[in-house]
Amino acid sequence: MQTVRVGLRSGRLSLVKTPNQAAKWVLPLIFFGALFYWPLGRILSMGFASIGFNSFLTPRVLSLAWFTIWQAAVSSILALLFGIPGAYVLYHRSFMGQRFLRALITVPFMLPSIVVAIGFTAFRALPLFSQIFNGHSSIPIIICANLFMNYSLAVRIIGALWSVLDISTEDAAALDGAGRLRIFISITLPQLAKSVTSAGALIFLYCAANFGLVLVLGDVTTRTLETEIYMIANENLDLTKISGLVLIQSVITIAAFTVVQRFSKGQLSFNGLTSLTPKPRIDRRDLSVIAITLIFITGLIGLPLLTVMIRSFQVGDRFGLSNFYNLASHGARDLLPISVGRGAVNTFRNAGLTTFISLVIALTISFLISRTSESNSQRRFFRVMDILFQMPLGISTLVIGIGYLLCFSGGILPLRSSWLVVPLAQSLLTIPLIIRLVYPAFVSIDNELLESAQTDSANVSQIWWLIELPIIRDVLLIATGYAIIVSIGEFGAASFLAYGDQATLPTILYQLISRPGVQNYGMAMATSSILIVFAFLVIYLVNSFDRGGLEIHLRAKRDYTTLR
Amino acid sequence: MKLSRRALVSLTVALTVGILLLAINLTGSGKTKDVVLVTHDSFVMSKEFIADFNKSSGFNLKLLKAGDVGALTNRLILTKAAPIGDAVFGIDNTFQAAALSGKIIDGRLTPTDFGDVCFNYDKIWFEKRNITPPTSIKELTLLQYKGLTVVENPNLSSTGLSFLAASIDKFGATGWEPYWRSLKNNGVKVVNGWEAAYYTEFSGSSGKGAYPIVLSYASSPASEVRANGKSQTANILDGCFRQTEFVGLLKNAKNSAGGAAIVKYLLTPKFQASFPEAMYMYPITPGTPIPPAWSKFTQIAPHTYGDTLNFDANRKSWLAKWSAIFG
Repeated sequence: MQTVRVGLRSGRLSLVKTPNQAAKWVLPLIFFGALFYWPLGRILSMGFASIGFNSFLTPRVLSLAWFTIWQAAVSSILALLFGIPGAYVLYHRSFMGQRFLRALITVPFMLPSIVVAIGFTAFRALPLFSQIFNGHSSIPIIICANLFMNYSLAVRIIGALWSVLDISTEDAAALDGAGRLRIFISITLPQLAKSVTSAGALIFLYCAANFGLVLVLGDVTTRTLETEIYMIANENLDLTKISGLVLIQSVITIAAFTVVQRFSKGQLSFNGLTSLTPKPRIDRRDLSVIAITLIFITGLIGLPLLTVMIRSFQVGDRFGLSNFYNLASHGARDLLPISVGRGAVNTFRNAGLTTFISLVIALTISFLISRTSESNSQRRFFRVMDILFQMPLGISTLVIGIGYLLCFSGGILPLRSSWLVVPLAQSLLTIPLIIRLVYPAFVSIDNELLESAQTDSANVSQIWWLIELPIIRDVLLIATGYAIIVSIGEFGAASFLAYGDQATLPTILYQLISRPGVQNYGMAMATSSILIVFAFLVIYLVNSFDRGGLEIHLRAKRDYTTLR
Repeated sequence: MKLSRRALVSLTVALTVGILLLAINLTGSGKTKDVVLVTHDSFVMSKEFIADFNKSSGFNLKLLKAGDVGALTNRLILTKAAPIGDAVFGIDNTFQAAALSGKIIDGRLTPTDFGDVCFNYDKIWFEKRNITPPTSIKELTLLQYKGLTVVENPNLSSTGLSFLAASIDKFGATGWEPYWRSLKNNGVKVVNGWEAAYYTEFSGSSGKGAYPIVLSYASSPASEVRANGKSQTANILDGCFRQTEFVGLLKNAKNSAGGAAIVKYLLTPKFQASFPEAMYMYPITPGTPIPPAWSKFTQIAPHTYGDTLNFDANRKSWLAKWSAIFG
């Protein structure tokens, strides 16, 4: 809570405190109460009504929890092992094509997890790998897909800190004849420890919730807590079991989240992140690290992406465009309720609304929290609010989907029949993330500026529109981008809520890949390759539009966001 | 880019108003003439049939695909207070009891079509190697067929569940688990769904996979007729399961009359005749004409297993036991 105290101590907050503050909490509280706590509470109460709390810890459930944890742990350790050399090469040295590589490794992170899963079904089928992957368990391929998605997170989080490290100690040690590896272990690594830990925990968090990946790539024996929830919801609808699994998933998520929070504290700053000191050029002594990094990027990032691109043009034994023409169709035997094109329209429409709703609500909440005064009771109130609004991060999105079907089918809020239901559910996932981005920015606004504005008799709304908003504009742009990405790729809640003519790209892709006849498989590949190109273009544009910007974005993300 | 305050305010207001209007507009839809038929993802009804139904009934048919049969049934159970449609097609005998105990059906479920879940084998694969193909499901556990069979996961696939039920019926309460253990020891491959098994893993289909024996349908050989006029695949007619699909009116339907009309339409002779080509199933009405390729290359299993078992009461424990063997 360091950042909070910075804001509170300054004492500015009481200045702009308005009497009708309580009223302003009503909107976010009603929003979360009705759209999150009600459906969640309903599922849990139905789940635990018939049976005792302790009966869900069966050996089967424990083994699911164990698998969820260890595949995530192995993935994050491997991501760090490859990520540290990657961060060194891409952020602590300079060479031609560095920016291209930085953009390339970010592509997987931007992709919907279902697209990654589809990509790895093609990757697994490559003649080169089918020997390795076929006939064995699907765990290696799941871990590869985890690495593919999260490598950039490790590289960027560690690299961001590495690029601003003071290198004079290292230089001095080098002058004294210390080898680079020794310098790294004894001088650099301790300084990077915090970012390594927070990157590891963040990757763990993502990998523990990689529902789409395991659902598509996993075989009978590989199940995580979330795929089990999905399976039960589509077979027995055993709400007791579902509730138990949800709670265990939450414990894991919240524990990892706490670690992220702990280790990313005290690194709050939105300015001066771009390093001004030029990086040393890469040289021969870096050869081994370069080799590791290039092999990793080529083999586990470039190759899967390329495989999907090539597969998307493959029609039978020849190449052609028919997979792309087929996107206007409904798939083999009319599988899809709508064409992929219509699905894309739905997806982007949802993303737009999700972003709008979550910005409005998250800004309101951040604004209100940043105006809390220093008194103890206020602080306690703030903490309660903070936890209240962060809770969706700890709850499996699948449950939100099931809960919505249950609560909003009739009654006073018959939301389910409206297309709004998907964006509303997705907003719950993005609001906590946006709060974590925007709130610190609010607090970091220079207090004197606000005070002098007040002295000049500016009112609250003028201060907001003329001073605060312009200052947090950059952060808002990041938040917007983030909300859009999350919404486009969201699969858990959508798998229950987005069907029929409201299907979204992830749910359509899952239908296609679950029925991999020649035509459907080709369509899944074509859609995936379009999304890959789209992601690459966005990253490239952002990069060239604002050179330092993306670094700031990702640092900000490191500091304040997690998951989904 | 600097937005003026005024521009931002008006943008916000415009967006909010726009969204509210859209929402009201969309939630208010659903004219009484519309009739929504909720189906599983494999349902196919051509534009011509839809137009014909609309013309003859005076309603406006809308199809709503709601996932596989399990997802479909459970979605309907969760939303029964205000159902997502007026009638449902595609609940089968494995989910029939769940649908009835979930109280989602108004009246009864009417059978519309059936298909036999049987093993297919790749004739060419066995001819080339001079191996006699298996003739019973018991033989799949023999050493000479080790590593040749691919089946669907009964947790995720109705085809897989069908065969699980057939094995339980055939080998009995004490025999089915040992049977599956020996299948597992004999290298049976389990995949998530029928399409993955048939199109990706099976050697006799367009996917040219590595497994010459696949759990599929008795009608599948009709789709594998090659240039020489012969089918590349054939059935193992032992241990088959008869899957029957139903149509029914949904409780609390907005348009019950429309729902009843579509239920009736699926049983008309012309729609019945479309089942083989469109959905690879046999029409339920006896005497409905069958495509020539079907009468030539497919057979109906002389005896089927497991289709009258109580799925609702036993599914959980069957699947748990099965998963324990494969988990």
